[in-house]
Amino acid sequence: MTPLEDIRVILATDCGSTTTKAILIQKVGDEFRQTHRGEAPTTVEAPFEDVTLGVLNAVTELGELSGRKLLDAEGRIIRPARGEEGCDLYISTSSAGGGLQMMVAGVVRSMTAESAERAALGAGSIVMDVIALNDRRLTHERIERIRQLRPDMILIAGEVDGARTDKVVKITETIAAADPKPRLGAGYRLPVIYAGNRSRRDDVTRVLGGKTSLSIVENLRPTLEEEVLLPARERIHDLFLEHVMQQAPGYAKLMEWVDADIQPTPAAVGAILKRVATEAGINAVGVDIGGATTDVFSVFGEEFNRTVSANLGMSYSISNVLAEAGLANVMRWMPFAMEERDLRNRIKNKMIRPTTIPQTAEELVFEQAVAREALRLAFLQHRSFATRLKGVQQQRTIADSFEQDAGVESLVKMMDLDLLVASGGVLSHAPRPEQTAMLLIDSFLPEGITRLAKDSIFMMPHLGVLSQVHARAATEVFEKDCLVVLGTCVAPRGTARPGRPALTYRLEFPGGKEKRETLLAGEMRRHPLETGAEARVYLDPARDFDLGPGKGVPLEVTVQGGTVGLIVDCRGRPLSLPSESAERVDALKTWIEEVGVYSREAILH
Amino acid sequence: MKLPCALALWFAVLAPVPLLEAQHAPAEAPSPPSGVQALDVPNDSGHAIEIRWKDSPHPGVLSYEVFRSRLPGETDPGAPETPWMSLGTVGPGEESWTFSSAERGIRYSFKVVATTADSSADSKIVTGESRAQWFDREKFWILVIGGTICLFVILFIQLATRGRKLFVRKIAGLEAVDEAVGRATEMGRPVVFVPGIMDMDNVQTLAGLTLLGYVSRTIAEYDARLDVPVSRSLVMTTGREVVKQAYLEAGRPESYNEDMVHYLTDEQFGYVAGVNGMLLRDEPATCLYMGAFFAESLLLAETGNRIGAIQIAGTAMPSQLPFFVAACDYTLMGEELFAASAYLSGDPKQLGSLKGQDVGKLIVMGAILLGSVAATLALWTGSGSLQSVVDFLKLEMFV
Repeated sequence: MTPLEDIRVILATDCGSTTTKAILIQKVGDEFRQTHRGEAPTTVEAPFEDVTLGVLNAVTELGELSGRKLLDAEGRIIRPARGEEGCDLYISTSSAGGGLQMMVAGVVRSMTAESAERAALGAGSIVMDVIALNDRRLTHERIERIRQLRPDMILIAGEVDGARTDKVVKITETIAAADPKPRLGAGYRLPVIYAGNRSRRDDVTRVLGGKTSLSIVENLRPTLEEEVLLPARERIHDLFLEHVMQQAPGYAKLMEWVDADIQPTPAAVGAILKRVATEAGINAVGVDIGGATTDVFSVFGEEFNRTVSANLGMSYSISNVLAEAGLANVMRWMPFAMEERDLRNRIKNKMIRPTTIPQTAEELVFEQAVAREALRLAFLQHRSFATRLKGVQQQRTIADSFEQDAGVESLVKMMDLDLLVASGGVLSHAPRPEQTAMLLIDSFLPEGITRLAKDSIFMMPHLGVLSQVHARAATEVFEKDCLVVLGTCVAPRGTARPGRPALTYRLEFPGGKEKRETLLAGEMRRHPLETGAEARVYLDPARDFDLGPGKGVPLEVTVQGGTVGLIVDCRGRPLSLPSESAERVDALKTWIEEVGVYSREAILH
Repeated sequence: MKLPCALALWFAVLAPVPLLEAQHAPAEAPSPPSGVQALDVPNDSGHAIEIRWKDSPHPGVLSYEVFRSRLPGETDPGAPETPWMSLGTVGPGEESWTFSSAERGIRYSFKVVATTADSSADSKIVTGESRAQWFDREKFWILVIGGTICLFVILFIQLATRGRKLFVRKIAGLEAVDEAVGRATEMGRPVVFVPGIMDMDNVQTLAGLTLLGYVSRTIAEYDARLDVPVSRSLVMTTGREVVKQAYLEAGRPESYNEDMVHYLTDEQFGYVAGVNGMLLRDEPATCLYMGAFFAESLLLAETGNRIGAIQIAGTAMPSQLPFFVAACDYTLMGEELFAASAYLSGDPKQLGSLKGQDVGKLIVMGAILLGSVAATLALWTGSGSLQSVVDFLKLEMFV
């Protein structure tokens, strides 16, 4: 590999389920910038069954667009870069063929099984099922499920170190009885990772050693008070490369090409988000809404969490969004009436023709209404997953007499959120940036001061891998080219009767221009503020509203502009739309017009 | 200076003598108590007669003695009239006596004797009879509130049965039972359940055993270990049945062992010593205290806290609650202990009655608040209309 300081041209690919995306990062002046992008269909499935063909096609397109020769006559990536030829570094991620699919098992669902799920999700896998002693299934049902799913890998956790019980061995015996076979490659043993009670390792080896490729790592929960995820995550990553990738069509060849380990796409997205948040010392949430699944990532303090909502998506899973959210919840975002039959038909059409995109303004409004609910539900799932460890003794004082929470408070606190990043077709490719901003605000309901951004061309996976090799390049490209800053949302927490004053503020724009205004409860206002520009805001919330320091406490902050600018949202948190249909439609139209979400014609029905 | 002193002595000592001599003159007999009446005491089951008279104007009356004699009545017309029997004596100024051991349907004669230092005078004889009333009008509000509560209970049961979701706020302690049992499972240690130190006649013990059923079912599902030391033999027998039933319902009858529920001693501190010994030896991961507790509450909860167990307590003993709150992870306070069964089962009948009772309590609280405010304001302002509200609440117009 070219020495780090000599790297000038970087080629990165992401092999997705349907398309393989290639980007070119080059050193322009003294900084790294993403310059070109190419795309080609993924070739994992028959008749090609070789992922590298898709990679080569994408890279060829990239070469044509950039005018840079990236492949030699034999179809190999030219390295290192020489003049207008080749690249210094080639990296790749993969989610082709369904990505890394895992099953996890633990003793208690909310304790060791949840820790195992967290470890697997953090390593970028899709968790197909969670087996636990209290999952209310009989042993034969668990065995049947394991045989049906055929995961790429199984992670077993259970019991604290030194526990005098055999529960984890029972779980292991169930897995052994299922005699699981891997999804890919008939000739090799299924990788199983044991990350449970240290004193049961011999028993587990006796039960599973002969049937699977067993590896043993540190206990995920050595005591119930601590969770150690790193060893298990690293082992998952190693096994992903050693076993899973080796069996996937063409990946053995691809692994020889790359200069850094191939990572599962979600793991790479999580890695870049975590790096950026940690470097800037901020709390961030990222969302990637796809056709079948929605991934939510959060970094709060040192805690990184990722969830995959497997049944919430905008094409294959769109029917499920409607089923889970309910038609009424989707309809509440519609600024005009539509027939239920019409809506259902549109949803089913989207499901059976997943690649279609809205052709009319009406369709776009409807699709974005569904997206709001999909995002809202995915985020709810994420917040309920990202909680403190369960099973830990609480320390109380007499002051807690009437405030004994059951310990389910989420680590994702909206008031502490600094950056909200959107990714995925419906968000990244929305016709107007205002639509993306409004989708994020309506679904996530940020509180206080929150920056909004979107991933311009779904570059985060590439940058995630790059951050492991060349952190500076990854951060520079992330900030300059990957993120399209939409602006800042100012939203006080609290509610009041519509029409009562909610927030008085004074804006000092660059150049000395000032604006002073009082917003009433239920109102929104958008102030254009260019990308890169900053404005000083003096905020004075009414006594029922809180912007972070406390109810009614004034605040002075600097906000950043973007393609949308500054949005002041005084609709209240929690947000409740008017229950009367006519009132709700009026309110929606007012907000849409104020923020500039849709054209006037689009909502005039 | 000697003359004024002598005068003072004369006034202080010698001058009162003729007055004292005058008091020792022959006494005039007091006039007998007038206006004597024997009235049936209202709103009772017919066992009391009130005798009333007017205080004698004679200044020398020292006491009034009330006498009664039983007359032949409707129930026993052949019974002879009994001699006068003293019911008791009251001081001057008193004008009534309640004869509270009268027999229903028997007529009694009464007379009141006014007594001075050396003479007495009998009042005229009056007769009276005690009768039972169908309604105790003093308890009118209890009838109203009871009826209202019943109506709301029926209403909410109906609503719940028809599928209306009745909101019952979360009880953190019960939500945490799964977590507490999970901890024991992951750590391979037992769950200790203490159902208080009272017997089966205590409603808190009953509530505790209801919760034992729920906890045992969860323990059976998790295949964890349960240990229930008890201090009463009847509680042991009942507890065993409850746990056995829970294991059956969880589909794990083979895991049930009757030694899970075992007797220690009836003696309060002997029992505490026994349980604390168990806690220190076995180091359970979870301790649950549900029932009636006294001085042992802190001894148990502190020991549990020291061994690092998750602890959930529930009691309706107000004096013990602070100790449990400070030493335990979660505490079910008072009513929460009794509401637990409805909360856990989700049974429409139990939920409906819980909700109905809550509404009843709300009405009572509202009435107490209204009465207190009205009475206070009536006193301050002297307002007639406020006083009539107070009278209404005090049932002055009915009684």
